[in-house]
Amino acid sequence: MKKYSVLIGIAVVVIGLFWAYLVYAGEPIEQIKKTTDKIIDIVKDPALKAPEKEPERRKLIRAAVDEIFDWDEMAKRTLGRHWRKRTEEEKKQFIYLFGKLLERTYLDKVEGYSGEKVIYVGDRVEGNYALVKVKINTKQETEIRVLYRMRKKDRKWMVYDISIEGVSLINNYRTQFNNILVRSSYKKLIEKLKAKVGQ
Amino acid sequence: MVIVRWRHCKIAVAVLLMGLVGAIFFKPCWAEDGTGAFCLIPDGLDLSNPTCGPESPIVLAQAETKTSSDFESDSGWGDESVVPAEMEEEKVRGISDPLEPINRIFFAFNDKLYFWLLKPVAKGYSKVVPEPARVGVRNFFSNLLTPIRLVNCLLQGKFKSAGTETLRFIINSTVGFLGFQDVAKQEGHLERQEEDLGQSLGVYGLGPGIYINWPIFGPSSFRDTVGMFGDFFLDPINYAVTRTKYNMAVKGYDKVNKTSLTLGDYESLKKAALDPYVAVRDAYFQYRRNLIKK
Repeated sequence: MKKYSVLIGIAVVVIGLFWAYLVYAGEPIEQIKKTTDKIIDIVKDPALKAPEKEPERRKLIRAAVDEIFDWDEMAKRTLGRHWRKRTEEEKKQFIYLFGKLLERTYLDKVEGYSGEKVIYVGDRVEGNYALVKVKINTKQETEIRVLYRMRKKDRKWMVYDISIEGVSLINNYRTQFNNILVRSSYKKLIEKLKAKVGQ
Repeated sequence: MVIVRWRHCKIAVAVLLMGLVGAIFFKPCWAEDGTGAFCLIPDGLDLSNPTCGPESPIVLAQAETKTSSDFESDSGWGDESVVPAEMEEEKVRGISDPLEPINRIFFAFNDKLYFWLLKPVAKGYSKVVPEPARVGVRNFFSNLLTPIRLVNCLLQGKFKSAGTETLRFIINSTVGFLGFQDVAKQEGHLERQEEDLGQSLGVYGLGPGIYINWPIFGPSSFRDTVGMFGDFFLDPINYAVTRTKYNMAVKGYDKVNKTSLTLGDYESLKKAALDPYVAVRDAYFQYRRNLIKK
């Protein structure tokens, strides 16, 4: 009898843990912190500092960013109402190019990291959406307010927009893309994107 | 020659007194609980269109809502609606730009001004003057501009912020060595209150009007240009240094010093943008809207 109760006990614990695993996707703010710490570690790693290590370093950073960035959603939102008019093939290509564009910009910024302090202010969750507030204190005594917009996707919190000092990245790109789309064509936009990412 | 007239002093003293009253009678920003009965901070105007999320408000109310304690301790992060607008409904909001052809010419002019003049000078300057000193100079000029921020705090009824600005000015001008050190922020967590007349007009309900990209001064709007003229009269440098030549030299030095601390920012913006002109215009529009809401 005693043997069975132990077994039942173990079963309850296992089921409980599994349930918790299913329900608990982690706090959005923890996700941001985890990824930020990971990236800072890569940038600070002396073994990766040498110039010839740059491709490796960039690959590692991109991998860390990929874990938390919802590229599909970002690309979709930058095209806005123009998204629906695109074919599957075009959508795929656009997501790829947009990811490359952000990668270039983001990596440049990240690589310029020189000991800025990151303060995790707080987060707010409403259903499947969340906001995370972060403050970056630069060495020049200025404060940069960063707001991450996140969405739960397959039980994981993913970033789909970043606002810096109230300027949303996605809104900024949407305005630029829309401006090009309205004045010329989708083809022209892709040409410009390709030229920008150097392909 | 520095000429300080009594009538200028009278205005300054009056403003300082009003700020002190604000500091005494209304809870300043650093008060632990910022929700006293005397805290009169209007929320500012929500200039954004109402956004409709994919979920109806009824569903939303049932959805789990969790906010960590520090989330609402501060503002200035931008639009804080958690659930975004439906993608199809996300309109491209922006500022009207009927002067675009002229603006683009001035944008190109400012671009060249930066790369050919401002950047090389700022770079050379930063080689000679170490960074802490340049931060100090920036703080000094910023401290001088307290009247602009203080008056506009008062114009917007933000008495708490006016108190903060007054205390900052008193602390930084004395203990902070004429404003070179931002002691108020480092020791007292008294943050600078970014206010100007353009924002005050925005809080009163005035929209930005048209976009204007001024040569030298850069991105602005009709409203913010009016604000800039108004703020000109609150800038003590314009009273202390009246000879145009010297006034421009002082302002130019301030600009070079500031640029030396932000080298590379404009470059990365340009690198990231498909159309730098539109990127700057939109960033300006979003940035100002956020400041007004704050």
